[in-house]
Amino acid sequence: MIKTVQERVKALLDSGEIAGFLGLKEAGGHIGPHLFTPEENGLDGLVLGDWKGPGDARYTLNKQLIHLARAYPDETFGVLVRGCDERGLKSLYVWNQLSPEKVVPVGIACPPELAKACECSKPYPDALVAGEKGEGCAQETLKQVEALGLADRFGYWQKEFDRCIKCYGCRDVCPMCFCKECSLEDPDLVNTGDVPPDNPTFHLTRAVHMAGRCIDCGLCNEVCPVGIPLRTLYKKVADIIDEEFGYRTGQAADEKSPLNILAGAS
Amino acid sequence: MDYKTVLTTCPYCGCGCNFYLEVLDGKILAPIPCKTSPTNEGKLCIKGWNAHEFIQSPNRLTGPLVRKNGELVAVSWDEALDYTVSRLKEIKDSHGGDSIAFFSSAKVTNEENYLLQKFARAGIGTNSVDHCARL
Amino acid sequence: MTNSVSEIADADCILVIGSNTTSSHPLVAARVFVAKQKGAKLIVADPRRIPLASEADLYVRQNLGTDVALLNGIMNVIIENGWADDAFVSERTENFEAFKETVSQYPPEKASEITGVAAEDIIRIAEYYSKAEAATILYCMGITQHTTGVDNVKSLANLAMLTGQIGRPSTGVNPLRGQNNVQGACDMGALPNVYPGYQAVTMLDNQQKFESAWGARLSDQMGLTLPDMLSGLLDGSVRALYVMGENPVQSDPDTRHVQKALEAAELLVVQDIFLTPTAELAHVVLPGASYAEKDGTFTNTERRVLRVRKSIDPVGDSRPDWEIIQEISNRFGYAMSFDSPEAIMEEIRTVTPSYGGITYERLEGEGIQWPCPDVDHPGTPYLHKETFARGKGLFHAIEYQPPAEIVDEEFPFWLTTGRLYAHYHTATMTRNSPTLDTEVKEGFLEISPQDAEMLGVGPGEVVKVGSRRGEISAKTMVTDRVAKGLVFMPFHFLESNPNVLTNPAHDPIAKIPEFKVCAVKLEKAA
Repeated sequence: MIKTVQERVKALLDSGEIAGFLGLKEAGGHIGPHLFTPEENGLDGLVLGDWKGPGDARYTLNKQLIHLARAYPDETFGVLVRGCDERGLKSLYVWNQLSPEKVVPVGIACPPELAKACECSKPYPDALVAGEKGEGCAQETLKQVEALGLADRFGYWQKEFDRCIKCYGCRDVCPMCFCKECSLEDPDLVNTGDVPPDNPTFHLTRAVHMAGRCIDCGLCNEVCPVGIPLRTLYKKVADIIDEEFGYRTGQAADEKSPLNILAGAS
Repeated sequence: MDYKTVLTTCPYCGCGCNFYLEVLDGKILAPIPCKTSPTNEGKLCIKGWNAHEFIQSPNRLTGPLVRKNGELVAVSWDEALDYTVSRLKEIKDSHGGDSIAFFSSAKVTNEENYLLQKFARAGIGTNSVDHCARL
Repeated sequence: MTNSVSEIADADCILVIGSNTTSSHPLVAARVFVAKQKGAKLIVADPRRIPLASEADLYVRQNLGTDVALLNGIMNVIIENGWADDAFVSERTENFEAFKETVSQYPPEKASEITGVAAEDIIRIAEYYSKAEAATILYCMGITQHTTGVDNVKSLANLAMLTGQIGRPSTGVNPLRGQNNVQGACDMGALPNVYPGYQAVTMLDNQQKFESAWGARLSDQMGLTLPDMLSGLLDGSVRALYVMGENPVQSDPDTRHVQKALEAAELLVVQDIFLTPTAELAHVVLPGASYAEKDGTFTNTERRVLRVRKSIDPVGDSRPDWEIIQEISNRFGYAMSFDSPEAIMEEIRTVTPSYGGITYERLEGEGIQWPCPDVDHPGTPYLHKETFARGKGLFHAIEYQPPAEIVDEEFPFWLTTGRLYAHYHTATMTRNSPTLDTEVKEGFLEISPQDAEMLGVGPGEVVKVGSRRGEISAKTMVTDRVAKGLVFMPFHFLESNPNVLTNPAHDPIAKIPEFKVCAVKLEKAA
């Protein structure tokens, strides 16, 4: 799998089609984001983000891609994507954060165990370069929480939110959080200056803003220092948007979110 | 285009979280918590997530200052260093090494702490070197 | 820490005492939550109802400065009920009988009277902690910043030894070090009594070893601690002070005394990245470089040596601190010729036994936890496995002593100080970070609803807070986080700096000031 990806990236760099490839590199015993450029010698250290288990060293490459695209709007970049990242790309095109002409996704499929752990609806990208297309998975975790009665469910979330130490990591890691001003920092909406933050206002404010935006990559879950199951919450929000508007974020690159108006985006 | 991610260690508390600093053309954009770090496993607190901001604050000191006629004024490195060294020499000569004391720092590196206590002990000749471990 | 941060996740019982972990060490708190999820019992003992208390199986609110009484009470219960680890006590410790005699004077009822903690809660703590397979203690400045700081720490060590909860994974007595490199600064000999690696300056062997390594005559006299340096400036025995990356005007107790001392200096050199209140008093200010502008290492709270790597060039005309020191030393006439921080580390490891095997090459990956005596040694995740540093673990018989200052008619409120989640120490860095500055913009005084009502002040109203040393103003935060009679202030904010009020009385051995306890009066501002 890695060989196929390396060949594809090498071809893109050699042909001059892309100015650089945003991927993952293992160096000095750690795996992190890295921009592979034609000036570098080869693709030494290029990895797919598997450390102790599959996909456990994934990063928000789309977020870094936005940084590069803003500074170099005329350049084309390649980027490593999984199914979720590609949903992100499509959605970022819709929100005018990236231009599809300037992005070359290099797609890998997630193995069944990772797809199952993520309960991913589509664990492979359309721009598939390596790996096997696997089946989408059922939303078991969400079903378990939904099986609770209303009072128990509210109690469950309040208890989870009560651990929050207000690191904003869920927002800071999120590839879909690109707003210049954030409602979570608006003192009229959320009380600042204390932990845990207003419960449940803080997390429900963020959940509302994830409606029509969340691409279910799960990085918020992974980054949370206190283990709040945020992904489950946002999966629910995505279901509501689907039921109400028939819209799934990142399924198409030309369909605007029904909630675009909320963010005032065009 | 000069884009790099540099793995380093957080400057705040004693947890010692690792993150990559994302650097584009000499400007630091953000920390990216390191997933493979044994201490933070890809997570950070609010201070860590913003550990790039103070570096690029307009309030940073950008050159040496020496007090003249009661005011701190900008001077060259040579002037600041010469002034410091000549005053240290005068004070050591007239009052001995133990009349000079050093506050080292829990914020600088091991190498810098080592060097400051070495200078205090071997250069000045005093063991009066301490830092804010108790504060 | 005796043990590693990651081990906390596998503990069966966690006693958090005098540590606001979620604010001050969030990634340690992360492991506490993991352990809790796996079924660990969490005990929180803190005079303030800190956020971690709401997750605790048992939260107790001891009166300020009564930790020895609380711990003696817990150990009394353990001994009386036969819950001690007798094998560990007999094989690995000494002086048990004297200790037992003292602890026998603290039955739970008496401990309860002193601490304000219910006797049945003292019994429950004893049971949870001693009966756990692996129990760990996490503590911080709430234990150490007392005139009895050393007694408090020794009492925690007593508790761990009594129950054999040390020398195994997920156990131990774990001080959470506050600053990113406070562990390293100590390891490197930035202390008046020891060379790097805790080698006493008063031992002739050590002196000779370093004289030959450094090619210089060295003093065999113990140096001055920070508070003694300040007194020395006032009595003229100290004439010059060189401050690198510290802000004593804001961080030390009794601010006025500190300012007077610094103003008395014939030469005050301050090397920093910002013009701090301390730098404003200096004769010379030298601009250092931030962590992102230089290479080096930090040593974290679990003794793990970690790499710092240069990301950008030093801002403006600032220079890495090691280059500044080297330049001053050379001009002073003591030659140094390091071409990089790595070259300095190569020298460090030749004179510091615990860093003997630490090279930059080996620090790639996860870093190394000292002691690491040679390049084949893997490092040490937890200490005291087979034996203690001194051989047998020494029990200390410790009596409870009240704080140096206690409330009276004139100063009827207890004041304690601490840290907030969004700020750091004197906030030199965090208040220059727009996001963190916006998160919490100003200081405040936490006061109980009962006391606020008695004083006739509402939330956000200004009160004058006075102690025997000074007076400041602060807005109130009315909260049941503090009990009646207790108020709390963060010390991050210069405009309402509680260190104007705090008591410089300090522990006789560690010289740590009693930041956590002083007596104040409150008055609604006109």
